[in-house]
Amino acid sequence: MKKIKRRAYSALLVAICLIAGMGVYIYRFATQGESWANFSANEAVWSNGKIITGTLTDRNGILLSGNENGKRSYAEDDAVRIACLHAVGDPGGNIGTGALRCFPDALSGYSALTGLKSGGGELALSIDAKLCAVAYDALAGHSGAVLLSDYTTGEILCMVSSPSYDVNLGFPADNPAYDGVYLNRTLSAAYTPGSVFKLVTLAAALETIGDLKSRSFVCEGSVLVDGNQINCTGVHGAQTIEQALAHSCNCAFAQLSLELGGDTLAAYAERYGFTAPLSLSGIATAAGKFEAAAPGSAALAWSGIGQSTDLVCPYALLRYVSAVAGGGELTQPSILAHPDRSTEQLINAATAADIKAMMNYAVAYSYGAQNFPGLKLCAKSGTAEVGDGTSHAWFTGFLDDPAHPYAFVVVMENAGGGLRNAGAAANTVLQAAVGN
Amino acid sequence: MAELTNVILTASKWILPALAVWLLLRCVRSMLQENCEPELWAWLEFQDGSKAPLKHWECIIGRFSGCDVVLPHASVDRTHAALIRSDTGNWRLYDLGTDGGTAVGARRDTGSGLDVHDGSVLFFSDVGAVFRPLDNKQLLENSSRRAMPGQYISQGMTLLLLTIFQTLLTLQFVSGQARTHAANIALGFAALCLLQWSFYLLMRAMDRRGFEIETLAFFLCTLGLAVTATAAPEEIGKHLLLLAAGIVLFMFLGWWLRDLRRTKIMRWPIGLAALGFLALNLVAGTTTNGATNWLSIGGFSLQPSEFVKIGYIYVGAASLDRLYRSRNLLLFIAFSAVCVGALALMGDFGTALIFFATFLVISFMRSGSFATVFLAVAGAALVGFLVLTVKPYIAQRFATWGNIWADPYGAGWQQTRALSAAAGGGLLGVGAGRGWLHTIFAADTDMVFCLLSEELGLIIALCAVLALAGLSLFSVRTAAGGRSVYYVIAACAASAMMLVQLALNVFGSTDILPFTGVTFPFVSRGGSSLISCWALLAFLKAADTRQNASFSVKLATRRRGNGAADANSEVILAEEVEET
Repeated sequence: MKKIKRRAYSALLVAICLIAGMGVYIYRFATQGESWANFSANEAVWSNGKIITGTLTDRNGILLSGNENGKRSYAEDDAVRIACLHAVGDPGGNIGTGALRCFPDALSGYSALTGLKSGGGELALSIDAKLCAVAYDALAGHSGAVLLSDYTTGEILCMVSSPSYDVNLGFPADNPAYDGVYLNRTLSAAYTPGSVFKLVTLAAALETIGDLKSRSFVCEGSVLVDGNQINCTGVHGAQTIEQALAHSCNCAFAQLSLELGGDTLAAYAERYGFTAPLSLSGIATAAGKFEAAAPGSAALAWSGIGQSTDLVCPYALLRYVSAVAGGGELTQPSILAHPDRSTEQLINAATAADIKAMMNYAVAYSYGAQNFPGLKLCAKSGTAEVGDGTSHAWFTGFLDDPAHPYAFVVVMENAGGGLRNAGAAANTVLQAAVGN
Repeated sequence: MAELTNVILTASKWILPALAVWLLLRCVRSMLQENCEPELWAWLEFQDGSKAPLKHWECIIGRFSGCDVVLPHASVDRTHAALIRSDTGNWRLYDLGTDGGTAVGARRDTGSGLDVHDGSVLFFSDVGAVFRPLDNKQLLENSSRRAMPGQYISQGMTLLLLTIFQTLLTLQFVSGQARTHAANIALGFAALCLLQWSFYLLMRAMDRRGFEIETLAFFLCTLGLAVTATAAPEEIGKHLLLLAAGIVLFMFLGWWLRDLRRTKIMRWPIGLAALGFLALNLVAGTTTNGATNWLSIGGFSLQPSEFVKIGYIYVGAASLDRLYRSRNLLLFIAFSAVCVGALALMGDFGTALIFFATFLVISFMRSGSFATVFLAVAGAALVGFLVLTVKPYIAQRFATWGNIWADPYGAGWQQTRALSAAAGGGLLGVGAGRGWLHTIFAADTDMVFCLLSEELGLIIALCAVLALAGLSLFSVRTAAGGRSVYYVIAACAASAMMLVQLALNVFGSTDILPFTGVTFPFVSRGGSSLISCWALLAFLKAADTRQNASFSVKLATRRRGNGAADANSEVILAEEVEET
């Protein structure tokens, strides 16, 4: 019997293998459990490829999307539903930048202890739903985009794309007014930037041309480059670089572009994140475009003033002006509330300080502080000719105000003058943001 | 109302795993930690005045340290002789082919054995000893010194824990959303509860106190009932009937195994019946999912291979007198080859693997030879390779192994969903009846570990696995006190068989092993499997020689117990009255 007793231990080998295998499983459960649970065939979370659990709120706890009787519900207020559509996402899952599509893991509410939370997780976006509604109104029916962020924390307070629609009502399929309604124009579109691009040319010039600040730029209303006439917005006469930016003088910036050369401009555009896709809390954004033109060519002159083939994504511009506002240091923007702060030195500090001073000067000297009552504004306008005789209106900048550290970008498609249209919309949004 | 539901759900989510762990610990501690003094049957008194106890019905005497009685004399062979007791209390002495010879008095054994009586003088080569079996009085004295199970850890208390577990589980099922089957489910759990307590009281009436094995089995059956309630609530009644049938078979087989002689006599008929069953399956079986392992008889469908498992162990285990004859092992190898071959022909790859692993355990326990085992493994590897090349759907499963996430909408369909649901349950589960995995094909059989994990949480699913592992540890531990080698081999083989099946089920569904589609013992839905698992438990009960533990082991003496059944017995009787 003793012998058999010893042999009996062989039967334990099976138990040992079993325990070892369970160890492997538990290890995988701990390390891969979250991705297993969030797999798109998990019927507790997904239905037909769309997430059914989880609650989405804005930064102040206003419900943007919830779950009622197993079906997805949306914000109570119709203005909020429309304005936040592109931040939240549509029922069909067509909007690629919507939180419902981009943050399923947070919405499933998985934790290793309790698994998937009944009803899903809670996710707070950084946006302010009411501010978004104001911004959507401010676009006054134009297609376009509004972005506004706190450049000290990176939180995006306002992300609005127009046109939009009410998900509870839908929209008529054959109405051309809703063309591109699923496109989030703040992140997924790139526009001809026009004069707002002069901020990039300016940075390159500040760092490349030693005597820039002591130079005088003479504007006679137009300039001939390689046989092509480049028109200016006026006859500005002799001006400092500061005044040239405030005037948005095409003659001065055409001259700077020719002097800097296509390669230098392209290098700056790339360094500042204007040409490659970026990421907002993991959401990929559209790439812009800058083509280095031949030395001395008209294309080169045009490219430095934001025309030619230049394209800029509004989000890239928001990052840039945020960095200027932060003394060259960019706090990474986030669409999620209370993000972990991470920073990067996007622009040389001295350069940023110079640009900031000139943007401030432009408001006082050219745009009129009275148009932006109570705001410590630094800004740049842009009126981008799109070739069909119309122009995209741009207005971008930031408040140099520790109590209201907001950076913003407004673009309105085919709306005409930048200051008059986008500037006015920006003022409306900023006034709402600072609480006036 | 909704609030109450929430309270029940939240509280029970935490309490259920705690109860399961507690219950498991109590059973395992009771089985493994309580004192387990050996039985004592006889003494050998040597010339120098020393005495050696005989603690089993089958004892080896020799020079080798692994013998039950060690005689450190040069003239004694390493394994010299076997001293074997029959059910009826008669002892026989067998020589194991030695030069020095073995004798009783003046009669030398020629291989067929010699009867031994009280006072007989035994000679192992030139070492002499007087044989002294214990009389009834001594047997009683000895058994009254031995600890009985339940002495330190109350078995009734453990069963009460299980009852609380079942009650909470029922509450979880019936609370909340209006369930059409709520009454069915509640009745089902009540019936299960009634069944387990009736069984317990019956055992107490028989003065049998070891109830850990049954408690663990009832715990697993509770989970099995929960699976049925989730996946097929309309089948609860049928499930319970099959469970009752399993318990009846368990009791019958346990009773049958009490008598080693009749057990041994039936080995041939049962072996032939097993082969006949397999042959019938091959001829008349129906094919489901690539495997021809179903048989339909008069409206009932059953899986013959599940019942052949019982026969396989019944036939495979051997008592000591057969262990020393290699012809017997060769016969067993042939029998195993036919069984595994038949299963391979049916395409039931998983069950073939279970039989093969059990074969390894049995053949090693019988021969003690690693060479035999290595040869068997090498042979099987070759056959396995052939099977892989011949059966494309098995090769497909091997190709999918480890790559389920590469094809979640094709070959990895079931397992990716199983893992996803299991992870969704976390440690505590989403609540009984609140999962979704049960809508996936075979979720209540092949994927049942993940189904448990989803609804009741990883902790309870792990408890189910550990409960079976605990049975295996117990079977190994009882080996020290087994009366006959037959019972020890049968118990180890039965527990190993269940464990291999469990491993294939759990690891197959979780992509740690290739998917073989076998059932989780006691938990998977399916009648044949449930019945056969209960029957396999009988082999474990038959090896449990703790005092008054098992109904499947005759008491050495019947004591004047405190049980009602014994109240009137004035006379102390040896239970093994002469049967011939």
